Amino acid sequence: MSDLRDLESEFARSLTHLETRTRFAEILAESAVGERIRLDRRSVTPSREPRLHGAVIRAWGGERWVEAATSALDPESITAATDAVGRGLSKSQGASDPPGESANHRQEWAELPARPMRDMGSEEILALARDALSWATSVPGIRDAQVSLGWDDQERVYLNTAGSRCYQVLCRVHSTVAPLAIENGRVEFDYLISGAEGGRDVLAYVNQESVTTTARSALSLLHARSPPAGRMPVLLDPSTTGTFAHESFGHGTEADQFVRDRSYLRPILGQVVGPEALTIVDEGSLPDGWGTIHFDDEGRLGQRTVLVDRGKFVGALHDRETASLLHAQPTGNARRSDFLSRLFVRMTNTYVEPGGWTLDELVQEAKNGILLEHCTSGIEDPLGGQMQIKVKRGRLIENGRLTDTVSSMALSGKVLEFLRDIRGVGRKSYVEMTPGSCGKGHADLLPVGSGGSYLLSTAVVGPA
Amino acid sequence: MTPAKVDADTAFQVAERLRVPEPWEVFAERTNRYEIHLNGASVELIRGPILLEGYGVRVIRARDEATGIGFQASTDTSDEGIQATARDAESLSRGSTFPAKRIDLPGAASGRPAGVEVCDSPLWDRPMEYLQDYVDALLQPFDGIRDVVPSFGSVRATLTETTIANSAGLRTGYRQTLVWLEMAVKAEGAAEGRPPGEYWVTESTRRIDPDRAATQVEEWSRYARDAHQAVPSPTGELPVLLPATVLATILPAVLGTRCTGGARLREVAPDVGGQWGNESLNVTDDGLVPWGVGSSPVDDEGTPQRRRTLLDHGKISELLYDVRHAGAFGTQSTGNAVRGRQVVYQDWRRFLHPPSGTSTTLVIGPGDGGSDEELAEAAGEGLWVQQLGWAIPDPYSGAFGGEIRLGYRIHGGRRAEPVRGGTVGGIAMAPPGSSSLMHNLSGIGSTPTLAEGFFGPTLLVKSLTVAGSA
Repeated sequence: MSDLRDLESEFARSLTHLETRTRFAEILAESAVGERIRLDRRSVTPSREPRLHGAVIRAWGGERWVEAATSALDPESITAATDAVGRGLSKSQGASDPPGESANHRQEWAELPARPMRDMGSEEILALARDALSWATSVPGIRDAQVSLGWDDQERVYLNTAGSRCYQVLCRVHSTVAPLAIENGRVEFDYLISGAEGGRDVLAYVNQESVTTTARSALSLLHARSPPAGRMPVLLDPSTTGTFAHESFGHGTEADQFVRDRSYLRPILGQVVGPEALTIVDEGSLPDGWGTIHFDDEGRLGQRTVLVDRGKFVGALHDRETASLLHAQPTGNARRSDFLSRLFVRMTNTYVEPGGWTLDELVQEAKNGILLEHCTSGIEDPLGGQMQIKVKRGRLIENGRLTDTVSSMALSGKVLEFLRDIRGVGRKSYVEMTPGSCGKGHADLLPVGSGGSYLLSTAVVGPA
Repeated sequence: MTPAKVDADTAFQVAERLRVPEPWEVFAERTNRYEIHLNGASVELIRGPILLEGYGVRVIRARDEATGIGFQASTDTSDEGIQATARDAESLSRGSTFPAKRIDLPGAASGRPAGVEVCDSPLWDRPMEYLQDYVDALLQPFDGIRDVVPSFGSVRATLTETTIANSAGLRTGYRQTLVWLEMAVKAEGAAEGRPPGEYWVTESTRRIDPDRAATQVEEWSRYARDAHQAVPSPTGELPVLLPATVLATILPAVLGTRCTGGARLREVAPDVGGQWGNESLNVTDDGLVPWGVGSSPVDDEGTPQRRRTLLDHGKISELLYDVRHAGAFGTQSTGNAVRGRQVVYQDWRRFLHPPSGTSTTLVIGPGDGGSDEELAEAAGEGLWVQQLGWAIPDPYSGAFGGEIRLGYRIHGGRRAEPVRGGTVGGIAMAPPGSSSLMHNLSGIGSTPTLAEGFFGPTLLVKSLTVAGSA
């Protein structure tokens, strides 16, 4: 792995050059190494991270930001990108100060996990992938599965003209096992997914029990009933609860939506929106989270930000600009997908804190309704205050008992009504964090975590 | 028309300096990207040109009964960088196993690249100015609209010179433009106590037209007003009308997965000859649809594009192959190698990805259902779905659906009040004898519309499950 720290003098030279022409400039450089094994019954496909690295330089032009990026990190290319920013600055008309305060942290997070994946070797990863495939296909009726195991070590260095200098290595490990069930032309799958910052210990999630359980679930979907349609009690499993947190009070509290006057939540900041049992948090500093960052792309430290505190809507996610406009503090949520993409206010790890209910108690409380399991996607509606969540499968709840398996479905509802109707949140022992990929709108994907425990409310569901 | 000449020669230069045994392939892109981001009616950020030049090297190594394939991408065009990338590809090929005895790359004699319009010349010639013209044209009409305002948006133009070289002697290239538009407009006022209505449009196109901007704004404003006035969706099994913009989010993802060599390898492809759709349904895959985002003179391995019949009167006619899966079945590539496509997302940096076989532009031939108004009349009582939250179909089971972001009741054969909320869904594609969108058609419109990876008319589905809150 190249070490971006070796190039810091070039980055610093770029900032020194710009310092005479702007009140603030910053540079973010990134590089990554990693590998992945994809395997099914017929093929093995190993791959490595692209040989791609680069840097983005941003400077305040007195009225707006000017930025340029380069995918080469030799001195000439960095100079060319610096000059491009300089040309942009010369066209800028304004003379105001940059919005908000500039970060000035100086810190390094270069420690690797105890058992780093980069030491594991392709053969060992392949051996585990083969085990996962054989566990899946050991279940009668499962002929094939798609297995993907991989890791990437992402390195980022951030410097600015206010004296900030941060360096981090984020080691992420991910796995997916998706057994395929086939019968008379019908095909179903279920999936086992894990992802976290860490080392090979993350892969412990892929084991015989978890894989065969997933394979049996895929089989059961071949004969699953269609889900009921309409408004009913809905019990969300931990992955679905996490997506609920992400789509409802995650996107809705990204404060650039406040600035755009595009959040139904802005007018109700400070109000009670749900029961005491409900606390929603975004936490960039969550140990080992898939969306964990030590510092954001404006040099702010990742932190825990409470969005809903025991039912009261108390906080939002900020970058320096939204914090300045809304008289708040930056929360370490300014993120770029990569050096080629612009910066937005983004989530990190967003979750619902656990409550005190057991699963049995929640099922009995629901009485008649549906358990939604294995969330596959969600989408927000920050202005209209609605949300959509899709899941791979579910279980009917009839007379306070979990009964038949049902096939994939979508949940739709108004977030505030959903919050009002929350009747219980599951215990800590059920909490799971799920790795995901989040877009700003429909682009700029980056890694985020989401999670929680079980959560009982009411919403509209239907087949999807 | 003849493909626009390329100035870039990235793949040819890399190929010249590549020192690996045959067979090999270099796919390269030289891209300039320009972006304008809006906050309300103000320009928030201008970015570009963002220059990215890179390539992917793929090597193919025959073994006894299988083949090893290694792929590595890089932006390092130095001699040292090229050799390091090639070494990575070789090393990866040693760990790879693919069940094909032989894989043939397209050579210079594979056929002349077809002519197809995929490069917007005014955008290519003066990108930032033209983008700015378009944004100005989008914002200008709002001066005369009192109840609808833009809340955010971005227009991102990607101008790419693609070049492909391989050890079979292929040297080809073409220019293309791709524009990603995202715009949210909101309607306020009038409807007391209701939240503002938003119409959030996203579309990927090959070209932009400042002269069309006012019409687009008028249409989006109308939808935003309707969203503001919308009532809850109904519940029940209803006839549903799905326009091209909605079908584009469903059918390519399902057919582009199930009707491929990759699906055949996993034994999940439909049997050729099987009745997987209504007898009136004809579906082709056409990489030569003018201005289609999936169109190009050659596919991402250099095979010339052509039209392929997927369903002929509802019966599966042929499957789609890249060279890898064609090799597994001893057949020819159909020109369907695509790089960087995930189910609903196309990475603009295609060189970072190895190719896989999927659809280019899925085309449904016009039917005799007439106009949208005539289809509504045929539906009688039902639902028109204008926009789904996110359909994201399950490509294997074919299940699709999502939240109704905007729809319209069909009453007495006419489009009536707008609706919003609740879900609509079903199965897009299912085996013969099963119920599915493709089987249960009661009307196929006569006027096709190009919407991203889909070119076809509105479809009237006999019945889908609608879960509303009305």
